Amino acid sequence: MRRIGILFLVLVLGIPVAHAAPAGPVLGVISSFTGRFAEFGEQHRAGLAVALEEINARGGVRGQRLVLLVEDDTSSVTAALAAAERLINQNVPLVLCCYSSSITGPVAQYFTRQRRPFLVFTSSDDAITRPGSEWVFRINQPSSTYAEVLFDVFDALNQASGGRRPIQTVALIHGNGAFETAVATAAEGLAKGRGYTLVDKQSYDQGLTDFRPILNRFKARSPDALFMVSYAEDSVALMRQVKEVGLNAKIYAGGAAGFALPGFLTGARDAAEYVVTATAWTKDVKYPGAQSLYERLKRALGGKEPSYHAAQAYAGLLTAADALRRASLTDPESLRRALRETNLMTAYGPIRFADFRGYRNQNPLKMIAEQVQRGQFVTVYPQEAAVGRILFPAPPWDRR
Amino acid sequence: MEALVAFAQNLAGGLLIGGVYALIGVGLSLVFGVMRVINFAHGEFVAVGMYLTLLLYGYWGLDPYLCLLVAAPFGYGLGLLLERLVLSRLIDAPPDSTLLATLGIALVVSNTLHLLFGGEPRSLYVGYATATVRLGPVTLSVPLLIAGAGTLALIGALVLFLSRSEAGRAIRATAQNRVGAELVGIDTLAHHRLTFGLGTALSVVVGVVLIPLLFVTPAVGGTYTLKAFVVTVLGGLGNLAGAVAGGMLLGVVEVLGASYLAAGYRDAYGLVAFLAVLLFRPQGLFGRAVRRV
Repeated sequence: MRRIGILFLVLVLGIPVAHAAPAGPVLGVISSFTGRFAEFGEQHRAGLAVALEEINARGGVRGQRLVLLVEDDTSSVTAALAAAERLINQNVPLVLCCYSSSITGPVAQYFTRQRRPFLVFTSSDDAITRPGSEWVFRINQPSSTYAEVLFDVFDALNQASGGRRPIQTVALIHGNGAFETAVATAAEGLAKGRGYTLVDKQSYDQGLTDFRPILNRFKARSPDALFMVSYAEDSVALMRQVKEVGLNAKIYAGGAAGFALPGFLTGARDAAEYVVTATAWTKDVKYPGAQSLYERLKRALGGKEPSYHAAQAYAGLLTAADALRRASLTDPESLRRALRETNLMTAYGPIRFADFRGYRNQNPLKMIAEQVQRGQFVTVYPQEAAVGRILFPAPPWDRR
Repeated sequence: MEALVAFAQNLAGGLLIGGVYALIGVGLSLVFGVMRVINFAHGEFVAVGMYLTLLLYGYWGLDPYLCLLVAAPFGYGLGLLLERLVLSRLIDAPPDSTLLATLGIALVVSNTLHLLFGGEPRSLYVGYATATVRLGPVTLSVPLLIAGAGTLALIGALVLFLSRSEAGRAIRATAQNRVGAELVGIDTLAHHRLTFGLGTALSVVVGVVLIPLLFVTPAVGGTYTLKAFVVTVLGGLGNLAGAVAGGMLLGVVEVLGASYLAAGYRDAYGLVAFLAVLLFRPQGLFGRAVRRV
C-alpha cells in the first residue's frame, strides 16, 4: 500500500519523494493537490519543484540532496490533520503547509501542541500568527494587509483629486471562509479608521453562485467603492453579475484570492476590466531574480501563467532549507531558533520573522495592487513597483 | 413603489434560479422514480456535461446550446455503459450496494476529470453571458431565462414520453411492479438501462445549459448532487412536476431570505424550508404517502 502511495506521488504529483532510507534531510509539505483548492496546489507544486531543483543544484543541505515528503490534504482539514500526524510520526523535522486558512489554522495548532516547528507560506488568516505561537512561522503577508493595500489605493486616489474625495462610501461583499472573513473584518476596521462610510456588508456561502440579491441591494445604496473578497470560482461569477445587474461603482476592489488569478481574466473578460486587486507578488517587483523566477515557474507550469502562490511555495522551501542548514535536524528547539534568526533575500522578497502589532513570527512584507487593463494585470501600486497608471474612475457599464 | 419593484426583481430572480434548481433535480428524480437507485453520481454527470461543452467550444467554437446535439447522445451512451457495467449487476443486491456503487462512480468520474482537465475552475465566456432583457422595471438574465425555458421544455417532453409512448409506459410499469411487468412481457432490464441512460443524458444536458452561467471544477459535482436531493425531496422523490415546484420554492425562499435578511444564511433559509416540509409533509409537497404493513 505504501509503495502504491509513493508511486502515486511520483507519477501524479511529479515530485521526488523519500524512499525507505532517505539520502538527505527530509522536509514535509502538505497542500491541496485535489479537491476544490487543487488549482492552488498545482501552483504550489511548481514553486516547490523550482525551489527544490535550485537547492539541490547548489549543493543541497550540508552536501546532501534535500528530499520532500509531499502529502495531499484533498482540500479537507481532516485529511490535512491526518497527514500532519503521519509526518510527525515519521520524525520529519519541519513541515510546510497548506493552502486554505481554514485548513492551516487547525494544523498549526496541532504542531504547537506537538512542539514542532511549522512554516506557513500561503495561508493568510491573521489568526495564524496573531497571537500565533512560538512554533508557527509565516513568510507571506497576513490577511489584514490585503485590505490595507486597497485602502492605501483609495487614500492615494482621494489625495490626488485635491480635497474632493471621490471615494467616500464602500459596500463590502465576502465569502464566509476563514480567509475571506478575516480580510473583510480588516476592511471594515480600516473603513472606520480612515473615515469611509460602510454602506452595507454582506457575506455569502460557497455553492451555486447567485449574488444578484446582494448586488441589487448594494445598487440601491450606490457605493463609490465595491470591495469584494472571494475565492477563484466566485470572483468570475461575481463580476459578471455586477455587470448584469448594472451596479456602477467608481472603483471595484478585489481583496486577492480569486481576483488575482489568471483564470479571472479569461473567465470574466470585459467584466474584469478596471478591477483593482491586491496581490502578494508579481514579476514586476524589484527583488533580485523576480523576473527569472517568473520564467522558471512558467516553465514548470508547462507554459501556464504562474500566480503569487507559486512564488510563495518557492520562497517557503528556500526558507526551510536555509534554516535546516543552520540547525540540528533531530532537535526541534534548535530548528525553531534557526527559523527565528532567518534573514534571507529571495525573489519573493526579504524573509525574516518579527513580532509586531500583536503578530508573532510574522514576515513584515508589504502587498502590491494591480489593475486589469485591456485583459492584462498591470501593477499600479505602490509607486516603486508600478509599471502603469491606475485608471479611475471606472466608466459606468452602459458606457463601456 | 421602489420597494415593490425591488420585491418583483427579487421574486423574478428567485423563480429563475429556482428553474435552474429544478433542472438540476429532474434527472435524479427520474432515476429514483423508476429504478429506486439514489444516484450519488448525478452532480458529477452535470460536471461532465460542462467539461464536454468547454471542449467542444474550445476546439470548434461550437455555441454551448448547439453542444446539446452532441451532449445528449453522449450522456445517454455513458449512462447505458455504466448501467451495463455496474448497476445491472446489482439489481437484486441490497439497496445500499447500489448507493455505494453510484458513490464509487462519482469518485471515479470526478478524479478522472481532475486528471484530464486539472483542478482549476473553468468557465466559458460567451457574449450573452451577462445579457439581460427588461420586463418593465425588472431586469432578467438571458442565460437564466434560457435555462428556465429549457427546464419546462425538458420536463414537458419527459412527461409526454412517459405517459404517451410505449417505452414510457413500460418504464412506468417497471417502476410500479417489476415482477408484474416481467409477467406481461416487458424486458425490465432493458428499461432500467434506458432509464439510467435518460437520467444521465438529462444530467449532462443540465451541465451544458448551466455552463454559460456558472463555473466548473472537478469537485463541483457534490454541490449539484446536494441541491438535486433537496429539490427532489421537497417535491416528492420520483415526481417530476414536484421537482419543478420544489426547485421554485427553494429558489424563492433563498433569494428572498438573502435579500431581506442576512445574505450569509442563504442556504440556511432553503434548508429551514426543507425541514419544515419534511416535518409537516414527510412525503414531499407532491409525493404520495405509502403505508407499509
